[in-house]
Amino acid sequence: MIQIIDYGAGNLKSVACALEKLGQDYQTIKYPEEIADSAKIIFPGVGAAGNAMRKLTESGFAAKIPQLRNPFLGICLGMQLLSGFSEESETTCLGIINGQTKRFPESVKIPQIGWNRVKIKKDCDLFQGLPDDSYFYFVNSYYVSAPEKFVLGETSYGLDFVSACKKMNFYGVQFHPEKSGDIGLKLLNNFCKLC
Amino acid sequence: MLILPAIDIINGGCVRLTKGNYSEVSKYSLKPIDAAKKFINEGATFLHIVDLDGAKIGRPVNYKQIFEIAKDLKIDVQVGGGIRKYTDAKFLLENGVRRVVLGTSFVEKPALISRLTKEFGNDRIAISLDLKNGKLMTKGWNKNNLINIPDIIDLLKKLQIVYVIITDVEKDGMLEGPNLKNINIFVKSGFKVIVAGGVTSKNDIDNAEKAFAYGCIIGKALYEGKIELRQCFKNNLAKRIIPCMDIDNWRVVKGINFQNLKDAGDPVALAKFYSEMGADELIFLDITATIEKRKTFCSLVSKIAENINIPFTVGGGIRSLEDVSRLLNSGADKVAICSYALTNPEFVKEVATKFGAQCVVISIDAKKTEKGWEVYINGGRINTKIDVVEFAKEMQKLGAGEILLNSLDSDGTKKGYDVELLKAVSSAVNLPIIASSGAGSEEDFLKAFRDGGADAALAASLFHSKKLLITDLKKYLLKNNVTIRI
Repeated sequence: MIQIIDYGAGNLKSVACALEKLGQDYQTIKYPEEIADSAKIIFPGVGAAGNAMRKLTESGFAAKIPQLRNPFLGICLGMQLLSGFSEESETTCLGIINGQTKRFPESVKIPQIGWNRVKIKKDCDLFQGLPDDSYFYFVNSYYVSAPEKFVLGETSYGLDFVSACKKMNFYGVQFHPEKSGDIGLKLLNNFCKLC
Repeated sequence: MLILPAIDIINGGCVRLTKGNYSEVSKYSLKPIDAAKKFINEGATFLHIVDLDGAKIGRPVNYKQIFEIAKDLKIDVQVGGGIRKYTDAKFLLENGVRRVVLGTSFVEKPALISRLTKEFGNDRIAISLDLKNGKLMTKGWNKNNLINIPDIIDLLKKLQIVYVIITDVEKDGMLEGPNLKNINIFVKSGFKVIVAGGVTSKNDIDNAEKAFAYGCIIGKALYEGKIELRQCFKNNLAKRIIPCMDIDNWRVVKGINFQNLKDAGDPVALAKFYSEMGADELIFLDITATIEKRKTFCSLVSKIAENINIPFTVGGGIRSLEDVSRLLNSGADKVAICSYALTNPEFVKEVATKFGAQCVVISIDAKKTEKGWEVYINGGRINTKIDVVEFAKEMQKLGAGEILLNSLDSDGTKKGYDVELLKAVSSAVNLPIIASSGAGSEEDFLKAFRDGGADAALAASLFHSKKLLITDLKKYLLKNNVTIRI
């Protein structure tokens, strides 16, 4: 069972559609009490960090998430919120991955919109069977600067930034697997297969 | 590979190297923090700071400048220059410095190195090695007793060192590029090698990367303008090809000529087809956009979202937050706001604040006049007299995430995008630009990307009529060195 956290930041339809295509059993949840022990959690997000953290705090997810031991996947803003702090409206985040979320340099167009390559830095279940340097769809103005030991994948956009990371049961991807065609579906499927 | 721009500090100032005159270090007008800011703006994520005064007297002195950069700018820095005591290294490491660089003291004081690696972790310590003819140069140590590389490696391994900074110019002072052979020896021995010295061109950087170096320090070449920092950082973002579909009551209209589709006018079937052909994104414009048809359009959007898994934008008659919310909840990724952005610029801000800049595409109809390019509305019937470039800048300020740039002059001509218009807008704003109107051949796309600075290019009838297949177009662009997703 996959549970998608709905905290009112962005639409969940794309993630739901992708899981539907994969034939996965899923549900969206609005309260931390709904989290099932056996579930895998997807934590999507678009929009601004400040607003999202406010909503997570109000709903009680902010306190609950760091304690989870379920396989957990933060997508885009969902990955950034795993960091300790975001430059976007100077927001204190969940602090699961010790690192900061920073804005792209002025030398590139912001936001980054489009397909970019992910260089796999460490073998892991999430990228199982996916070719190195595959294209994924990105939409972001900020990126997570995380310690090397948590880095799974890197992407070049005016600088090399962390596009996939992992700490214990927490995975983060800066791109949108649900919008990245077949390769994105494969990655989501890999996540669904985690135990 | 990590690129580390170098900042050399003397007397609290940054060693300012005037063009072609490295020895002239008399002007300290550039503050180290300003140099750091400049590098960060150009893409740097890690800086290499050398306290030259410290190096001279054997203990760091320019702490204020170093901490200003490390703490206030929150950037990773490694610092070298005169760090010879435990207390000095500790002070730096506990005040925001990511890594300290120690020089030849490692052969003199192995105990110091051991203590630091044990206490702070070996990723916080780097050893700087000056090599010449395969041997370690040790200043102030026994000059006649040069150490061979295998012996250095043994010693470093014993001390559990991982990061080494290697300065090795085969022909001393000739700036002929780093000596890759020795870099290779260290890489193969398991070290993370940061190449310093002799890096004078983009080619040197590429070679260091090929030799699997972990990082590359660039100093002199940067200041002398031989290397432009922003060009050292790769950008693999692909240019996007976007088919656009005009929708009227659940049908794609205009220029459809597909024989192999069961129902060529069905937007869902066409969306799937384009997605399989390798389209990077899709745009659907509701051309009637009446209130009663809006509901139908939302169900269509929903159906599209269920059938494809690449991003798509929807537009046509969007005038309220409720419109936006309904379309995004139906599964669209972005909304294109057209003339309403002109009469109600505040609306752009509201949408960006509520849903994020990434979903706001501003569609501009531009036409050349004697004053430049002006924004038109009502399908080109009304000239608003608003300058296109100024309007695009205004939209960026209000929170637009992307500009869809239509040219009324080239629309329907099939003679190519308006490259001059693209150039004017793409150089004025720092937003992605989607070129639109006028595509007639694969070369037109190349020109829009290469000459116009467009980030994406849109076409409708050219694709619908099957005169150009996206697969062929992508092959052509790839052959012409455009970054394209295949």
